Parts: sequence; C-alpha cells; structure tokens
Amino acid sequence: MPKYPARTYEDIDRDKIDFSLIREKLKLKQFEAKKGLNKQHPHVLKYLKSKGIDLEKIREHSAKILSAGALTGTLLLTPPVGIKPLPSPAEIIESIKLLMGEKVPDAPQKLIIDLLSGILPERPEPLSQQEEKNLEQIFERLIGIKAKADLEGERLNTTYGYIGAEQHLRRYPGDTMINHGPFYKEGMAPGLGAWGYFAYSKDKLTPSLEEIERWYAVVQTLYLPDWNTKTRYLREWYKYRKVLIVNVKSGNAVVAAIADSGPAAWTGKHFGGSPEIMEYLGGPRYKKGPVVLFFVDDPENKVPLGPVDYNQINLPELALVNI
Amino acid sequence: MSKIFFDHLVEFETVEAEIKKASKTPEEKEELWKIVDDIVNHKALGFILDKLPIQNHDEFLEKFHQTPHSPDLFDYLKEKIGENIEELLRQELGNLAYELLGEIRSTKSETRI
Repeated sequence: MPKYPARTYEDIDRDKIDFSLIREKLKLKQFEAKKGLNKQHPHVLKYLKSKGIDLEKIREHSAKILSAGALTGTLLLTPPVGIKPLPSPAEIIESIKLLMGEKVPDAPQKLIIDLLSGILPERPEPLSQQEEKNLEQIFERLIGIKAKADLEGERLNTTYGYIGAEQHLRRYPGDTMINHGPFYKEGMAPGLGAWGYFAYSKDKLTPSLEEIERWYAVVQTLYLPDWNTKTRYLREWYKYRKVLIVNVKSGNAVVAAIADSGPAAWTGKHFGGSPEIMEYLGGPRYKKGPVVLFFVDDPENKVPLGPVDYNQINLPELALVNI
Repeated sequence: MSKIFFDHLVEFETVEAEIKKASKTPEEKEELWKIVDDIVNHKALGFILDKLPIQNHDEFLEKFHQTPHSPDLFDYLKEKIGENIEELLRQELGNLAYELLGEIRSTKSETRI
C-alpha cells in the first residue's frame, strides 16, 4: 500500500508513549508519595536524615551494607534457626572427589544440581563469601570454567538471583528482526542496550560482536554502590564482560557477555538473558528462574560464549535443551 | 544485593515494559526506573508505618536503617502488627502497579491527540 507524503501521522507508532509526558506524570506521583509520607509520618524523614540517609538513596545504602558484609564475610543477616553449617571449600572438593570416584561422573549435571541444592538458600538472597567460594570450586571442577564472584576487585550486588527473558538488541542502525533468527518470538527491544549499538553499520559487525548479542546478559550495574562515583571506569569494565550463568534447577550453564543494564529492582528479577540464553537455560517456555551468575576469569579471552557442554547426557527429567 | 526487604513483593513487569517503550536512551529508561523505585519505597514505608503502632516506629526505623535488606524485618512487623503485613503489602503494591500502569497508559492516549 503506498504511503502518502502528507500522512506523516502514519509514522507514529501507536504504542509509542511520549517520554516527557510519562516522566511528568511519574514525577507527580513521586511528589505525591513523598508528600503523603511526610504528612502522615514526619518523623521518618527526620530520622533518616539524622542518620545521613535519603529514602531516595536507600538502595545505595543497602548495597553498601551488603557489599561490606560480603567482603568481610560477615553478612548482617540473622542465620535461620536449624541451618547446618556450611562446608569449607576443602570439604566441597573432598565431596566432589568422593562423589566422582576416580573417573569423571556419568552425569556431572546431576551432581551439580545436588551440590547446588545443598549450598544455596531456597529463595535467592545474598550469599556469603564462603558460599561463593564453594560455588567457585564446584564450577571450576565440574563445569570446567574458572568463574569468580569477585574479579579484579569488582563484584555485582548479587550473584544468586532471578533471571528474566530479554528481547534481542539492535546491533547496528537499521538492524531488523529478520537477522535474529531462529528466535523471533521475543522481538526486538525498543531501545538500545546500555552500550549503544554493537557496530556503527552492518559491514562493521564482526562475527565476535554477533556472538555477543546472541549470548548477551543483563546485570544491574545501575545499582552498584560506586556506580555514580566510578561511572567511566565501571562502564568500561562491565562492557561485554564474560559471565557464567548456571540454572540452579537444571544445571544448564552458559557463558554470556554483559551488554545491557537492568532489570529494574521492582521487577522481582536481578539479571536478564537474551532469547538464546533463556532457551538454553530452560527451554522455550522459560521466562524467569533462579540462577547463579559469576564473572568468568578469562584474561586470555579463550572461553567461548554460548552453552557450556559439560554434560552430554540428557537427563530425561530435566530436559537439557540443545540449540 | 541492592535489596530492600519487600522487593520480592514488587513485580511491576508490565510497568517496566511500558517504560522501555517510552525511553529512547538507556539514561531515560534508568531515570524513569529510579522514579518508580522512589514511589514504591515511599508508598511501602508509609503503608507499613500506618499499620505499625506508633510506639514501635523508632525501633523499626532503626532496624530498617541497619539492615534494609533483611527478611527478619517482616518477622518483626508481623509480631508487632499482628496481621499478615507481608500479604497486605503485596496487595497494596499490586494496587500501586495498577495505578502506575493506568497513568502510563493514559499518557499513551494523550500522545495520540
């Protein structure tokens, strides 16, 4: 059907919302929420102010407390009653050796699932340094990837959380869904990733950049406690940083590259995965699930992106997905 | 974990999807995310304090300041309020999500005019 030059209104995306209008409306709601709290409970803001905290920055305050706790290995959490003491890394290695016997186990994936269920809390929550060290040992010995919760002094606010499905990212100006097969269903994100286009034009898109978009992960860099003070350094450090993502329910593991920031804290999710990642981690209907996410320690850039095929055996009850 | 103890009750995925559609740059998206976060935190805290007896406010605020992430805060609130505050807050935040979505979608019709 021809497009008439005068009908410019046809170019308007019917679902598109004006940013300034939505910002204005949300700002008004924010003002009302603040005013409401201040009116009903004026002592709250006074109290928080006396402690040097702005409720607007409560998330930053929480991140500081938690990262300080993780670094000293003494998270300020009251341990649940009746919990068994955590095994040390040496004990973990011993159990792996015992479980494996002399040879490589037939189903390392099953072993991973069992070990993770013994170590991880039922619901995603901050892990202690000891728990993270144990996981590092397990991943290195069973999955064969050297991955760390803390790399070059950097760490995410969480290493155990929910991953949610993301859309494809536009790799260069003019990129369309037709180039993102075979996973068309998720569609293309309306905006660009946190680091913009992967390449300035289609002919500048290298196979390596294509792989990065295919296996891209999303992490909450915006909530890092020092994001606002070290933005330039952290932006570079996190750009395309490799991470190991392990589905704690199925044991499926994938090496991904960070290419966007999010999700928002109020979505109940902590990480995001490209359509390809989600398909591999949990299959076509997998939209959200608990995972562990560590940085890959790969100074020589030898670890390829994509599924970690550490288990050729398909456990029928866990339906290992092959892409 | 950058976490507030009631985060698990907040699942505004539809709001997030609408914000993504509205933002042209990552900076715009993050700005709107922070505004929504602030609205949620103020509303949630206000709702909790409305339910909590006034004599417990200072003690609760002290605990919240020390460990804003701790799930133990719900145990404390349940004990002092005597109601399932977790469930009540979930409902309240659900209403807030609905309200915010309504605001955003009304913006959509204003954009078309």
